[in-house]
Amino acid sequence: MAGHPHSVEEGAVRFVAAPVDLGGTGHYVHWGVVQLSVANLVVIGLMLVVFVAALLLPFPRGRGQGRGRG
Amino acid sequence: MKRRHRRPSAPDPAAFPTRTYDLLKEFTIASAVVALLTVGLAAVFSSPDVKPVTLASWARADGTDFTATAVTELGGTSTTATYGPPYNHTPDAAQKIGPVSLQNAAGVRIRVDTANDFVLRPLRQAPEPPAVTAALTTWTAAAPARQRAWTSAYSDALAKANGAAPARGDFGPVPVLVARLRELARAGALDGQLQAQGTFYQTDYTRPLLFLSDGSHLESLARAQHLKGDQWGMMNETGNYPGQAWLWLYTFWYQIEPFKSSGNADALIWAVMALLSLGLMLVPFIPGVRSLPRWTRVHRLIWRTYYREQAVERGRRA
Repeated sequence: MAGHPHSVEEGAVRFVAAPVDLGGTGHYVHWGVVQLSVANLVVIGLMLVVFVAALLLPFPRGRGQGRGRG
Repeated sequence: MKRRHRRPSAPDPAAFPTRTYDLLKEFTIASAVVALLTVGLAAVFSSPDVKPVTLASWARADGTDFTATAVTELGGTSTTATYGPPYNHTPDAAQKIGPVSLQNAAGVRIRVDTANDFVLRPLRQAPEPPAVTAALTTWTAAAPARQRAWTSAYSDALAKANGAAPARGDFGPVPVLVARLRELARAGALDGQLQAQGTFYQTDYTRPLLFLSDGSHLESLARAQHLKGDQWGMMNETGNYPGQAWLWLYTFWYQIEPFKSSGNADALIWAVMALLSLGLMLVPFIPGVRSLPRWTRVHRLIWRTYYREQAVERGRRA
């Protein structure tokens, strides 16, 4: 049974492996001199979303919010 | 007499509205969210795990390139051998910003003699077959001009052969020396020898990495992964992993003229980035630039509730 230890090993590797494998061939977009990886574009997009959310989301109105002491 | 403009008196800070704010609570929540995100994303996506490129893997995968590079190391014509500081004193090799050469000013700090460090010493340190002992003796006894003629002729013959056995010629002991070096590399011995520094932990990869970078094998692997300088490689990572997006401006300069074709690109781009960083630090003192937040009025968007209430209050008073 030469294949048995291999199948156990492969099973263990599959069990601990990350569900999403990003180690394949990279994807890139080209726009003139600009060359960007899709992964970087996603991260830049997420950063912009967080920035816009930080601008637009209202501040939570907590307890004890005063209207000034003066 | 000129009348001086009087600054309006500063408002009393105590007159502004206040709100309670728990910094410790916010810090704890933010730390917990970041920790959960880090663990969660690492579990789902893992991290880059590319097989290391070593002298052994290079010699096994592309022996022709290894041999050709070893000849240039022996002859002192490789990129490392002619780099200048911090490795050697090659004249006019250092990059300059105008008349200033910071590379020369820093001096030779990591002395690398490619012929001795990469080829001759590893051959002497390994068990020597008689043919290699004889080749080493012949090499050492020859004048530098003769040595250069041998390596140059063998480099040309290898280039013409294009991977096949080179034609016969006057190569001296060079073919024997590089063939033995390739054997050592394939066995994995050369990696250990170039890394050995006489200390318990071998953590200095400078020499094996320099040898690797002189060949075209590492370069072709880097190009396939979009990691070369002319591919915006500074901000990329292997595979589909996100890289260092914040280095976009630094790597951008390498894609355009005059930097793209300049031999001084590294020094010039460093100077440009230093200047821009200085400008960023001095934003509060640069007229016009320092007024941008006032013109863009982003703060009014963030504090829109306050400004709306102020407008309502002003309307009521009027």
